[in-house]
Amino acid sequence: MADASAPANPPTEREDKPAAADERLAHRGPIQQLLTRPEIGALLGAVGVWLVFWLVSGPFGTVAGTANYLDVASIIGLMAIPVALLMIGGEFDLSSGAMTGATAIIVILLSSDTATLGGAGLSLHLAVPLSLAFALAIGWFNGTMVEKTSLPSFIVTLGTFFILIGAKLGFAKLFTNKVIVEGLDQSSGYEFWDNIFGATWNRNTHIWDQRDWAWAGLLIIGGLVLLLGILELTYARREKVDPTGYGVAAIGAAAGLVAFFLMLRSDGGNLGLGILLGAGVLVGVAGWCLARYQPAAPDDEPQADRRRLMQRLGGGTLAIALAIALAAILDPFDSGQLDFVGGAAGRALLALGIALTGILAVLAALGRVSPSYPAIGAIIAMIPAVSFMMTVQAFRAILFAALAMAGVSLLAAAGRGRLKVVFSLLISVGIVALAFFVRSEASSRKLRVELFTALLLVALVIAAGAVAGLISARRTAAPSAPGMGWWTRTGSAAGVVAAVVFAIIELVDGDGILYSLFTGVVKGLITVFAIYAVGTVVRTLFTDDDGMGRALVSVGLGSVALGIAAKLLFVKSSELETLRGVTEYGAGVLIFLIFAVVAAWVLARTQFGSWIFAVGGNKDAARSVGVPAARTKTTLFMMVSAAAWITGMVIAFRLNSVQANVGDGNEFRYIIVAVVGGNLLTGGYGSAIGAAIGALIWGMIQQGIGFATWNSDWRFLVLGALLLIAVLANNYVRGRAEKAR
Amino acid sequence: MSDVFLELKNISKFYGNIIALTGVSTTVNPGEVTCVLGDNGAGKSTFIKILAGVHQHDEGELVLEGEHVKFESPREALARGIATVYQDLAMVPLMSVWRNFFLGAEPKTGVWPFRQIDIQRAKRISKEEMAKMGIDIRDTEQSVGTLSGGERQSVAIARAGYFGAKVLILDEPTSALGVKQSGVVLRRIVEARNQGLAVIFITHNPNHAYPVGDRFVILNRGRSLGNWAKEELSQAELTQLMAGGAELEQLQHELAQASA
Repeated sequence: MADASAPANPPTEREDKPAAADERLAHRGPIQQLLTRPEIGALLGAVGVWLVFWLVSGPFGTVAGTANYLDVASIIGLMAIPVALLMIGGEFDLSSGAMTGATAIIVILLSSDTATLGGAGLSLHLAVPLSLAFALAIGWFNGTMVEKTSLPSFIVTLGTFFILIGAKLGFAKLFTNKVIVEGLDQSSGYEFWDNIFGATWNRNTHIWDQRDWAWAGLLIIGGLVLLLGILELTYARREKVDPTGYGVAAIGAAAGLVAFFLMLRSDGGNLGLGILLGAGVLVGVAGWCLARYQPAAPDDEPQADRRRLMQRLGGGTLAIALAIALAAILDPFDSGQLDFVGGAAGRALLALGIALTGILAVLAALGRVSPSYPAIGAIIAMIPAVSFMMTVQAFRAILFAALAMAGVSLLAAAGRGRLKVVFSLLISVGIVALAFFVRSEASSRKLRVELFTALLLVALVIAAGAVAGLISARRTAAPSAPGMGWWTRTGSAAGVVAAVVFAIIELVDGDGILYSLFTGVVKGLITVFAIYAVGTVVRTLFTDDDGMGRALVSVGLGSVALGIAAKLLFVKSSELETLRGVTEYGAGVLIFLIFAVVAAWVLARTQFGSWIFAVGGNKDAARSVGVPAARTKTTLFMMVSAAAWITGMVIAFRLNSVQANVGDGNEFRYIIVAVVGGNLLTGGYGSAIGAAIGALIWGMIQQGIGFATWNSDWRFLVLGALLLIAVLANNYVRGRAEKAR
Repeated sequence: MSDVFLELKNISKFYGNIIALTGVSTTVNPGEVTCVLGDNGAGKSTFIKILAGVHQHDEGELVLEGEHVKFESPREALARGIATVYQDLAMVPLMSVWRNFFLGAEPKTGVWPFRQIDIQRAKRISKEEMAKMGIDIRDTEQSVGTLSGGERQSVAIARAGYFGAKVLILDEPTSALGVKQSGVVLRRIVEARNQGLAVIFITHNPNHAYPVGDRFVILNRGRSLGNWAKEELSQAELTQLMAGGAELEQLQHELAQASA
């Protein structure tokens, strides 16, 4: 851990090793490869933040809560994604926040009525493209200025930033005599554009009674395919399939299914059925592994590992014991505020935190500990302050869950390795016990039901992993995937046909052309995915083609995502009676998701993506091999401003009136969100998906504080602290990942 | 005329009132290594940048395959088959080997707007081309930052060869390398020459230049001291010229007097 003096650039370490020795390239398993992704830290952070608010607040985890924070996240994320691309390209745009407001104001000023509202009275069909042209011109100006003058983009765009905020206020006052411009909904052509930028998906009007079946079915299929994919990626195939294994697998699957259906009918709380389900799944996995994967080679266990194993076992058991003790000590029904600051304990904690920060800072300056250590002290010092906002119940829930998770993950870590399988199985039994303890002891219904299920699942996964490891040999590197050939061609053809057919059906039904096109395309894409998914699974199960692991994993993840979408987008008729309020998803959420997918594709797969990394990583090298660096950067600036235009339109069509200062100051949020998502401030490295996850974290924290009924005066303190933790976690994970390379 | 591939006639370059390069002439032929030697500030960088299209010459003529040319951008020089491998900035360290190999000329597949890089092909070719240079890269996804200096130069040289460069300009490829790795790079230079490339090798180390060079141009303070074929020059003479010829003799003389 005390590796503060580790070289900042790992490359130099390898300088002296022989040139042609490729053996030094250690193999990385799928999990390790995953950990080197830039966005993984943010993903873990997002899960953590979600867990915290899910624990302390009832409505946060519901569909309405999800729609709420997704909306906030999408408005930030729409910008954070292109800003992240620009950052990877090595530049900043400080005018991006002000630009979102500027485009909104321009479109309203251009279109609102001349006599009453002081606008130019243009049709929106003219005003909207004009505002886009304006945004693109600003982006082009920023890019060209940065390139032509070689000044830092920080300075150039700071200038644009001030010009924009001045112009916004000045023109608003000049034309309307107010600091607010309004009346967009009275402009001509409003309906058409409102259908695009102001459209909402109203969940209450979309009833689908089979929703829960689709949701549960897709989740189960997705989970199974995912498990299969990970097995394919991790373990080596047999030369020849052993059919008896299939028999065993079939028996296990049948037992599991029977238990599952009985559980569905009996309200899900029966211990006997749970054990049958677990056993069924384990037997199924074991049978499958017997049939498909090579038996393990004998393994001699290194003695040095034994100490670490005992440490992890001890630590894990201790954490779980602490969690149980905590549950017993803190009164589960005390709903009072938790206030440390007044008491002696709070002052002691504050003093301890400050002192620790100082000592660790000195040690870090001397190079004795890693520079991130002083943050530990700061976090301790913050506990009394943060405790202001929490109830006893919330505190108990967070500590309880954190300890349980820590214990489980330590135990899971102890359970790796072939000879430790017995430990793993014991651990999974222990976790099942813990799950039942939670179920009987927890005061909150949510904690009882959902943590119970989660713990059961964890126990199952650990046990399944242990069994698979016992039976199968590891493979060093998964073979590369074969092409999908026939399946891809059929899938794309069917997808196009489906898109056209469904679009025509909707049109004939009398829906608008935009809606028809959209549904058609979505249904076409689902058709493509379904055929691809079936093809992948069929080829894995019924042919000897190896290397389907990656495809299986993506199919599994896709099914899970579809299941979640089904749950979020539709209601059941019975639900409608109990739903209070309307759950709406704005168009911004859809555009945000599209942005994230397209930007990730551009970065990973296209020439332009390669060029973005290149101009950010080493501009001169990129130029010398013929990458048009100036054009690439200018395009990036224009992408940011085009995104600012879209954000501005979404804001304008939602509110119909806009304050002159809207968006100002948001540019730093975009940058922070991008950094939380694993993008390097210095350019050349990062991820668009990471930025999207960063935006999600931002939205969850921003809205979660309200849901948790914490005092919102402290919002920025919590935001700051949680962002700091997210960045630290990110840094730590990336550090580990780079060491693993 | 047309039997000479690339000819430089009295090339000069001025930065304002500073004479960076004046009256440099030489010829570059396929299957030959032309070494450009000179001390710091001799005008070597300016010389390369004119050939690579980064700067444009102010006087003189650049004749490529019998045609007078003046490159307006690095892209244009590249299109005419002149590839430059710079000393430090040949690679983007945070990017993978295959992305670096194909940077600026990515192989593409699919129809617009779904046009994307043919990653499988890019990985396969970069691996094969590196294997031809004698370097086995098992995972072309590894970042160039993890390669050694010699390997990085080799990637750049392999890349230039693959993309059909006719002239390969190497800017001080050995200056930052150890003895062993310099040997590796010199071997690549000979291999590239044997494949029929014209190589322009810029260095300030006559010990590296003499064994591989066929023709030598020596620059001193922006002026060309001359242009020799290998037969006309011994290694000792080369070192002598390189160190400033008469000036060195003068220095030796003075030192001898001082010690006497």
